[in-house]
Amino acid sequence: MTGPMGIERRSIQQDTSRGGDVTMPVSKLVLPRAAVLTAVGLAVALVAIGPWLELGGAFAGTATRPVVLTITTEPATLDAQAVNDRHSRVVSGNIFETLLDRDRTGRLVPLLAESYEAVNPTTWRFRLRRGVTFHNGEPFNAEVAAYSVNRIIDRNYRTTRGSYTVGIAGARVVDEYTVEVLTSGVNATLPVQMTSLPMVPPRASQQRDFAWRPVGTGPYRFLGWVRGREMRIAINDNYWGPKPTIREVVVRIIPDKQTELLALRAGEVDVVLDLLPEQIQLAPKHVSHPAPEYSYIAFNTHKREMADPRVRIAMNLAVDKERLARTIYQGHARPNMSQHLSPGMVGFNPNLRPFPYDPARARQLLAEAGFPQGFAVVLNTPIGRYLKGEETSEYVAQQLAQVGIQARVQLHEWTAYQNLGRIPGDRPGAFDLKYGWNSNEWFDGSRIIAHITCRGTSSKICDPRIDELMTRANGTVDQRARDEMYQQVWQILNENPYSIYLLQQNLIYGLSARIQWRNRLDDEVRIADMRLVR
Amino acid sequence: MHAQSPGRFVVTRIRDGLGILLLVTVVIFLLGYGLGDPAALMSPVDATPEEIENLRRLLGLDRPLYVQFVDYFGHLLRGDFGESLWQYRPALPIVLEALPFTLLLTATALVLAGLLGGINGTLAGFWAGSRFDRATNFLTVAAVSVPSFWVGLILIAVAAVRIQLFPTSGFTGWQSLVLPAVTLAVVHGGRIHLLVRSATFEEMTKPYAMVARSKGLPDRLILWKHVLRNTSVTVATTIGWEYVRMLGGAAFAVEVVFAWPGIGQLMINAANRHDFPVLQCAVIIAGAFVVATNALVDIGYRLMDARLRVA
Repeated sequence: MTGPMGIERRSIQQDTSRGGDVTMPVSKLVLPRAAVLTAVGLAVALVAIGPWLELGGAFAGTATRPVVLTITTEPATLDAQAVNDRHSRVVSGNIFETLLDRDRTGRLVPLLAESYEAVNPTTWRFRLRRGVTFHNGEPFNAEVAAYSVNRIIDRNYRTTRGSYTVGIAGARVVDEYTVEVLTSGVNATLPVQMTSLPMVPPRASQQRDFAWRPVGTGPYRFLGWVRGREMRIAINDNYWGPKPTIREVVVRIIPDKQTELLALRAGEVDVVLDLLPEQIQLAPKHVSHPAPEYSYIAFNTHKREMADPRVRIAMNLAVDKERLARTIYQGHARPNMSQHLSPGMVGFNPNLRPFPYDPARARQLLAEAGFPQGFAVVLNTPIGRYLKGEETSEYVAQQLAQVGIQARVQLHEWTAYQNLGRIPGDRPGAFDLKYGWNSNEWFDGSRIIAHITCRGTSSKICDPRIDELMTRANGTVDQRARDEMYQQVWQILNENPYSIYLLQQNLIYGLSARIQWRNRLDDEVRIADMRLVR
Repeated sequence: MHAQSPGRFVVTRIRDGLGILLLVTVVIFLLGYGLGDPAALMSPVDATPEEIENLRRLLGLDRPLYVQFVDYFGHLLRGDFGESLWQYRPALPIVLEALPFTLLLTATALVLAGLLGGINGTLAGFWAGSRFDRATNFLTVAAVSVPSFWVGLILIAVAAVRIQLFPTSGFTGWQSLVLPAVTLAVVHGGRIHLLVRSATFEEMTKPYAMVARSKGLPDRLILWKHVLRNTSVTVATTIGWEYVRMLGGAAFAVEVVFAWPGIGQLMINAANRHDFPVLQCAVIIAGAFVVATNALVDIGYRLMDARLRVA
């Protein structure tokens, strides 16, 4: 329809234009002038505005602007006792302090406590540091410490940190600077638990606005929060400990990873968390270091095909972890030592090594176990949760195919993955294989208990020897004895593997040229550790 | 076809709009519920069932679904959208804090898109087949085809990183508005361009235009005096539809890329942490804008159409 009409119209145009040709209707001589004028006008306006923009722009990288960190999700609350996600900790972790802490190598050290001891199997006594005050002037003492412990374990307090305080029964004041924390039964991990139990001021924390006006004892105090945009903190001039050097910090919310990187390149921000390996060459500077994050693929050992430990050992042998670390992670990961622990952590077994890559042996073991032709399984992976999780799953599926095991990768939205992943192995609907990362922020062998004991909440393995050892270790206060028991647990978990042990992951931070920072093993972002250069 | 009187049509349209909004409310409530359990989501992977159950109780999610809905809807009628699960603040002010940013961004983008698509589309339709037409057509199809977040990233890389004319992201003043608004305008202006171009072209070839031409009226006067009047209906309705598209989600992707503190970012955050009250409130408010825009477009179209018929 339009075709013939168009031709028709052209011919009329031809008639009306004196001596014009088909491609040059007369009207074209009139209207382009307006277009050209508009274009010139716009260009002039841009040139005129340009310099003024630069002058007026508060965003340009200047030496005096505060240090800027970025996070991709806005914290729901800054009440450090309510939530424990990494992004809210970037802010609240610099405002609040705990009784115990870790040094940069991961060792347990006192912070607001000066010393601690177990006075009996269910009572731990902490002697507190004197002369510490909260940012609002409230003093820190035993009463406050007891209040803080009792606040977080109150069943009517809305917190997602329940699993961090399991086994704590309460706290009581002994004298002004001595507090006792009571446990229900023997609880050897109590000191570790105290590293993630923030001390809060009784007066301020009972106000509703504590969620967005946090008050702590830390080296930085809260300044303000512009919703959807940024949070500001500044140095606490009355800090009891060594003063940090960076005075003012802005934590900006930039949801997109690429935009974060571009903002770093534009000189608008100084620290970007969790850079992707492929982004490194575009960042002015970066730090990359092994984190207590272990990627794995858990077996459902209740499934007939994977009941025999030989099958599971074969699957460990079938995967080339070196190549995975080298290619997909571009070297920012390493095969883990067939356990979810690193040297120095309680329970790390120094005799264990990564399973070698040996597909021939894997095929042989499968044949011995009665599966010479392999079998089919489903490998379940969450979408967009773990760095390169989807790619890793595809890689592993390919490698398993080489030894005859047909693994189909099934991607799940995070919530669905979590709900389905929690189905224990002996119930219908449980995952055959589950890709995940285990983050051992406790640096302690006990952290994995939910995954490996017969009645663990998401466990797909049942080995009475493990249950016996885990129970015994949890009832032992002597750290060396516990260490040995967890070492035995991991020994058993290698003979009777609960997962394909993949990698220990690095975390990578992008830095601007003016920031100097070696971050901690536990991956807490402490601004007091950062320095400005130049 | 036009059995209804304009006044009656307006009333029906508003009634339908309210009905749709009610439906949105029900659907978003059920969807939120079906998305999963916030208590389970927010708990660490190794949380015990008892801990999750206790959190569920504290969040009021242990009550039967219909009780929760009746409770929710009852409060809604009183203008109470509930309280954020984590912020300890009512949901409505949280959404209203973010809303002006989304309105500012979408309105600016819409004006830019309207100018870009309207002027270029008209000129391209007028000079159909010319070099200008082919060039703009090529650029438009390209703009409509690429995802908006990509356009945004390219703009940031060039205008904020390379020549540092504007901030990359966030909101630090009006300069921050430029890149996200241009990004949205490019994509939506492209679609407006395509529709306006074909409308202009079609009008220029209609019998009345040919009659005018045969009288010796120059083309630009035909365009100016007759055709534009007709195509302006298309421009107006297209712009209306594009606005609906923006508020229906297109603007939210751009908000995320530019860290723009609008309701898109708010919704995504709320959805990620299953903060139902905030999510529901944001969707209902955004839905109200979409429904209102839709109604205005429809009503406006009818009115303009009717007037044109009389004229």
